[in-house]
Amino acid sequence: MLELEAVAYRYPGSARDALRGIDLRLKDGEVVGLVGPSEAGKSTLCLVASGLAPASIGGTLRGRLLIDGAPTTGHPSHVLGGRIGIVFADPASQRSGMTGTVLEEVALGPVNLGLSVEETLRRTRRALERTGLEALAGRDPGHLSGGEAQLLAISAVLAMEPRHLILDEPTSHLDAAAARRVGDVLRALATEGTSLLIAECRTDVLDGLCNRVVALDAGRMVLDGAARAVLADSSLLAIGVEPPARLRLEAALAERGLALPDGLVA
Amino acid sequence: MQRIWLRGVAGIAAALAVGLVALTASGTLDATPDPATGLIAGASALAITIAIAILAGFLGYAALELLQTGRLDSIASQFGTRTLALMPIAIALNVVLGQTIGTALRMPIYLDSIGTILVGVLCGPLAGAATGILANVVWTFGLAGTPLGSPYAWPFAIVAAEIGLFAGLFGRAGFFRSRPDTPPDRLAAGAAVAVVVLAALAYLGILPAYLKGTLIDADLTTVEPFFIAVALGVAAGVAAAAVVLVVRLVRERDLGVAYVVVGGAACGVVSALIATPVAAIFFGGVTGGGTDLLVAAFQQAGSSLFEAVLQQSVISDPIDKTITFVVVFTILRSLPRRFVVRFPQGERALGEREG
Amino acid sequence: MALDAIGRPGPSLYHRLNPLTKVASAAVATLGAFLIGGYVAPALLFAGLVLPGALVARLLRRVVRLSLLVSLLISVSVALVSVLTRAGATTLFTIGPFDATLEGVDFAGRVIVRLVVAAAALTLFGLTTEPRALVADLERRGASPRLTFALAATLDAIPRMIERAVVVAAAQRARGLDTEGRLLARLRGLVPLVGPVLLSSLAEVEQRSLALDARAFGRRGPRHPVWSPPDSDRQRAVRWLLVLGLTAILAGRAVGAVPELP
Repeated sequence: MLELEAVAYRYPGSARDALRGIDLRLKDGEVVGLVGPSEAGKSTLCLVASGLAPASIGGTLRGRLLIDGAPTTGHPSHVLGGRIGIVFADPASQRSGMTGTVLEEVALGPVNLGLSVEETLRRTRRALERTGLEALAGRDPGHLSGGEAQLLAISAVLAMEPRHLILDEPTSHLDAAAARRVGDVLRALATEGTSLLIAECRTDVLDGLCNRVVALDAGRMVLDGAARAVLADSSLLAIGVEPPARLRLEAALAERGLALPDGLVA
Repeated sequence: MQRIWLRGVAGIAAALAVGLVALTASGTLDATPDPATGLIAGASALAITIAIAILAGFLGYAALELLQTGRLDSIASQFGTRTLALMPIAIALNVVLGQTIGTALRMPIYLDSIGTILVGVLCGPLAGAATGILANVVWTFGLAGTPLGSPYAWPFAIVAAEIGLFAGLFGRAGFFRSRPDTPPDRLAAGAAVAVVVLAALAYLGILPAYLKGTLIDADLTTVEPFFIAVALGVAAGVAAAAVVLVVRLVRERDLGVAYVVVGGAACGVVSALIATPVAAIFFGGVTGGGTDLLVAAFQQAGSSLFEAVLQQSVISDPIDKTITFVVVFTILRSLPRRFVVRFPQGERALGEREG
Repeated sequence: MALDAIGRPGPSLYHRLNPLTKVASAAVATLGAFLIGGYVAPALLFAGLVLPGALVARLLRRVVRLSLLVSLLISVSVALVSVLTRAGATTLFTIGPFDATLEGVDFAGRVIVRLVVAAAALTLFGLTTEPRALVADLERRGASPRLTFALAATLDAIPRMIERAVVVAAAQRARGLDTEGRLLARLRGLVPLVGPVLLSSLAEVEQRSLALDARAFGRRGPRHPVWSPPDSDRQRAVRWLLVLGLTAILAGRAVGAVPELP
């Protein structure tokens, strides 16, 4: 279980807290969505939950980050990398640039962890299977489509076999088809038991994927509950988050006394 | 704060010791040119001695730090992940700007050390030096066989190392700090100091290349009128640069410009001193660029090869480095502060700011 | 699985040599040509190190052509500057105010020979070696992952930055950036060109360093890379021979034990 306890965070050199009073729990196997307007602190929360803030970027963290009840203060980022993985929005900047094939790129994480060649290959194979990239193992990572590149980034993090995976706007640089493909992979991961924390501006991606949704506004949590309830909550629009298309359609139909037929909207 | 000053002392002592040994070993501070090889033994020995002494200084500092703390944090801290992520971009900038944009704008300025200087300022002198060395090594070996590769870049790694080192030290001292809205009296004082330093650089470092001695003790009767004319031209150039600097200071009221110009000029003069023996010994003094015409002119007018190369680089290097320093300064000024402070020396480089 | 996807075997025996062997050969040839000087030494180095490799790799024509191309501009410069303006005793002919001397021709000749040999050695190395293979080999031998990352990532960053620079230059020109005109205007035109290229690269730096940290990049300790190029004892011996041989010759020259060759 990944837990943020009374967490507040301030970037280095900043005058205000970027996050305040955050209490968040991510149980094993849970899929939690994170929504909010831009500048609400979603990315910051992702960095804190993954341990990169403050370990990698500095700044001050108040409160605690706990993994299975044990606090993580003082652990360097490479230790946490084995427990919590994080995927960012831009596939290009997640490519290390030092490998010539997809296989080596995915293997980079386990190699960095100092694992044996057999273990590295086992994890790499598994990670490629989970994202459906086995056929591309020999490809140059610089010559992939947007969707493939993002799946590569996800693979590369999965190869370290983290228990919790955090994704900061994973589809924002992708077109609709690629976004759907990534969504499918995330769905498959969820059913396998990895817990996911997905920050998104596009609530459509979260619809049907998440158990719970948390809404952030100006660094504070304003909503936290079952996905269906939160996504349909009217205050979402008030803070500047557009509900998923399906729910908007349902609401519009309900106003006219109609119901949305099952199976109409994927 | 485990007696950091002790480490500084160790560094300086090591530098002095090695410097003295090297100077006595190389023989002379003789300024008379060797007629057989055209080398001014003293100048090149001095330049290389300084480079080695500085290296020894760092080693001395590091040795004591290792003894005191069991680790080498001052070096390691300069090479964190963020520095490592910046270095390839910086080197790519050197290569790309040095070759592409230079020709696009058709100026005899190379900008091929812009990345090195950037890393030096943001990450520290050793990171800057390492970037310079790596850039030249990659340029020769990493890009071999490609149109961008240069088989002749590798000996200049030592010049690049010096540039990165200087940029790092200047950055640490706050030379790249933007000082907007400087009050007029500070501005005037700063401008005056800058002009004096530029004049000193010209007097000690640039003009002697033509006059075979500083203005005071040079025997002008032995100097060809051609070189006296050149010296006058260069002096006029330095004066013009000083005027431009003062005008820019008055217009923008940012004293930082003065610091950066002075730093760039100083770095350029030292670069010229270190690059000259490399170019003269390895490449017959030429680079394939337009400045070779200057070398030809000077050699035709009677200079030995070494003197001619020195006379050429002492004009072009300070110009190139000053412009590069100013470009880096302008860029730093426009970068978001929160981005810069995350680099090891970013905070020192930018200085204190409200909020 | 796809392990054979990496490390595609090269088309010739020379290609398949360990990258460290090839770089040692190129480095010894280059350093030797420059540091020993003269005509004989570079020629011998070419004949011994570059020519056989180029023949085995079936790249002789290409190596010669490319190395002459690379060294052309600087050789012309050397020739003009040294022949025409270098002081010397024996004048061969005169063009206007310039005296072409025998000493000048000799000096130019020596410099050009080493320039061409160095270019040939490095071109052969560049054409027969995958940079990533060299980096992987260094990694296996225990080079600091920071160093190998810096090397590999640099080679990756350069083509991408070129694309960016071209795009930015075109965009700026479309927005009226003056690429002709007076010196001051062109100087001022520098920053709008460098700025965007640098900014977009730097934004990536921030993200990349976080992504690297997230993949345990900063961890110290032994690493076991998935693939590295094969090596052999014979190649190791050859490498040592080359390096020690060059060192011995240079040391001998320094103390005067080895005579200077023409």
